[in-house]
Amino acid sequence: MPAIVVDQLSKIYRIPQKDPGLVGAVKALFRPRYTEKVAVDGISFSVEPGEIVGYIGVNGAGKSTTIKLLTGILEPSGGTVRVLGRDPHRERVANARSIGVVFGQRTQLWWDLALIESLNLVAKIYEVEPRRYKELLARFSATLQLDELLKVPVRNMSLGQKMRAELAATLIHEPKVVYLDEPTIGLDVVVKEHIRAFIKEQNRTLGTTVVLTTHDLGDIEELCQRVIIIDNGKLIYDGPISTIKARFGKYRTISFETSGEPPAALELPPGAELLNREERKLVLRFDRSRTSASQVAASVMAQVEVADFAISEPDMASIVKQIYAGGMAQEDAPEPVAA
Amino acid sequence: MSVLNTLRRRAGVYGAIAAMVPKGFLAYSLWVWVELFTQVLSMAIMSFFWRAVYAGAGGGLIGGLTLQQTLNYVLLAQVLAPMVESRFIFHMGWMLREGQIAVDLARPVDMQARYGAENLAELLTDLTIKAPLLLVAWLLFGLQLPSNPLTWGAFFVALLLGRVVFFCFNWMFASLAFYTTETWGLSVLYEGVAKFFSGALLPLAILPGWLQTVADVLPFAQMLYVPVALLSGITPLSEAPRVWLIQLAWLVGTAVVSRYAFNFGLRKVTVQGG
Repeated sequence: MPAIVVDQLSKIYRIPQKDPGLVGAVKALFRPRYTEKVAVDGISFSVEPGEIVGYIGVNGAGKSTTIKLLTGILEPSGGTVRVLGRDPHRERVANARSIGVVFGQRTQLWWDLALIESLNLVAKIYEVEPRRYKELLARFSATLQLDELLKVPVRNMSLGQKMRAELAATLIHEPKVVYLDEPTIGLDVVVKEHIRAFIKEQNRTLGTTVVLTTHDLGDIEELCQRVIIIDNGKLIYDGPISTIKARFGKYRTISFETSGEPPAALELPPGAELLNREERKLVLRFDRSRTSASQVAASVMAQVEVADFAISEPDMASIVKQIYAGGMAQEDAPEPVAA
Repeated sequence: MSVLNTLRRRAGVYGAIAAMVPKGFLAYSLWVWVELFTQVLSMAIMSFFWRAVYAGAGGGLIGGLTLQQTLNYVLLAQVLAPMVESRFIFHMGWMLREGQIAVDLARPVDMQARYGAENLAELLTDLTIKAPLLLVAWLLFGLQLPSNPLTWGAFFVALLLGRVVFFCFNWMFASLAFYTTETWGLSVLYEGVAKFFSGALLPLAILPGWLQTVADVLPFAQMLYVPVALLSGITPLSEAPRVWLIQLAWLVGTAVVSRYAFNFGLRKVTVQGG
C-alpha cells in the first residue's frame, strides 16, 4: 500500500478583500468580499513507503499548500488525500502522531528555552518510550552535531544550528512519513551536506518516506530518485530524475567572449541556437546528439574573433526553467530531422 | 481500564506541556521584577487614593462598602490585575498571519486543550510569583486577609473556575482572527473592556446599577471580581456555592461555544505562505 495517495486534489483559497484600518476590518466582518485563488489544481500522485520524492516548483506554485493538505492543516476543496490510510484533515490528531514536518521558515521549538527542554517535551508529546528516546538523542547528537547545542536557547542559535535542531525535533518520534518544506533554505554548503546526510540515513535505516520541497536542486540531485514538478497548481512532471536529465542533459551551453562586435547575422550549425547576445559576448545552446562543441566553436570562430569561451553542463535550475517555459511540451513534439 | 489508561497518558502529555510554562517565565526574570515593582507602586496609589476618598466622604460607606472592604478589594485586585491582560486575540492573529498555527496544528494534541493547560500553568506560576505582594500589601498598605481557611479555599476554587471561563471566552473571541487580520485593534479594545468589567480597577459594587448589569452579562467579572470579592469579605462565604454554580454555568457555555467557534473558523483557515 502506498504511504501517500493524492487523487484529483484541489485547494481554492477565498481571499478576503478589505479596506485598510479597523473600520475596514469591521466592515469586512459584516459584508465580506472574496476573490478566489486556485492554489492546487487537480493534482494526483502516490508515494511508496521509503521513497524520497522531490516536490518542486517556483514560489507560489502550490508546494507549501500541498504540504499543508498532506499534513491535514488545510481541508481540500476537492479530491482526496490518504496518508498511511487516513484522511489527514478529518483525522488530524491521529495523523499527526505518525508524521513529522519541518516548515523551513518557522520553528516548532520553544524559543526561550534550551534545546534539550524542547526535545524532552516533543518526546513526551509523541510519547516516545524513554529508553528509545535516549538512544535516538545520542544518535541524532552525533549525526547532527547537537552536543554543544543542547543547552543553548533556540533564540541564540544560528540559522544552520536551528535547522539541525528542528530536524532532530521532527524525527525524534520516528515518523513514518516526513514532510520537509525548504529544509536547507539559507544554509551554507557544509550545513546542507550534514542535513542531506542525516535525511538519507533516516531514510535508509528506518525506511522513512520523505516528501521534500526545495529550491535547492542540489538537495534533489543528492536525495531524490523521483521528482514531482508543479507549476501554477498543476502537476507538470512526475517521474525519475534521470529522465529529466536525459531529456535536457543532451544540451550544453557554450559562451564566447569576443574581441570585436559579433556580426548581426550569425550562421550556426544545425542543432545550435543563440540564447543571448551582448556586446562582446555570445551565449549559445547546442544539442550534443546533432552537433559537437568543436563544430559550434569552429563555426563561431570563423565569423568573429574569439578571446575566450566556456562550455557548461545544464544544472537542474536551468532544466526546471525550461520546463516552466514549456520545454517539456516542446520535447514531446516530434523533433525535426537532423540535416 | 483502557479509558483510564488513555486519560492518564493524555494527562501526562498536557502536564508536560504545562510544565514548560514556569521555565519560560524564568527566561524573563528581569521582566518579572519590573512587573512586581509597578504593582507595588499601583497598590500604593490605590490605597492613598481610597483613603482620601473615604476621608472626604467623612467616613461611612461608599457603594455599601467600608474603607477596609474597599482597601482589601483594590489591593487584591491589583495583585491579580495582570492576569486579566490577555493578548491572546493578537497572538492568534499573529499565528494565522505568519502561518505559525501550522506548527501547532501538526502536533498530535488538541490545540485548545494544549493552550488551556498552559493557561492554568500560567495562573499557578503567576500566583506563586505574586504571593509576596500580599505580604507587602499587609505590611505597608493595610490589607487584611481572612484567617478562615474555608474562605481561602472558596477563593481558589472561584479563581480557577473564573480562569477557565476567561480562557474559553478569549478563545472564542480569538476565533474572530480567522475572519479579520486586524487583530491588534480588536485586542486593545477587548483588553480595555475586559479590564474594566473584570473589576481590576474598581469593585463592581461601587458602579451605578446599569453598569453592574452590563458587568453581570459579561464573563469578565468571573475571572477577578467574583473570587476577589470572596477573599476581601464583600461576598460572604455562605454565598460561595451559589457563586460556583454561576461560574460553572459560564464555564459550560463558553467551553461549548469557543470549541465550536474555533473549529468552524479552522475550516475556513487560509494558512499563509502557500
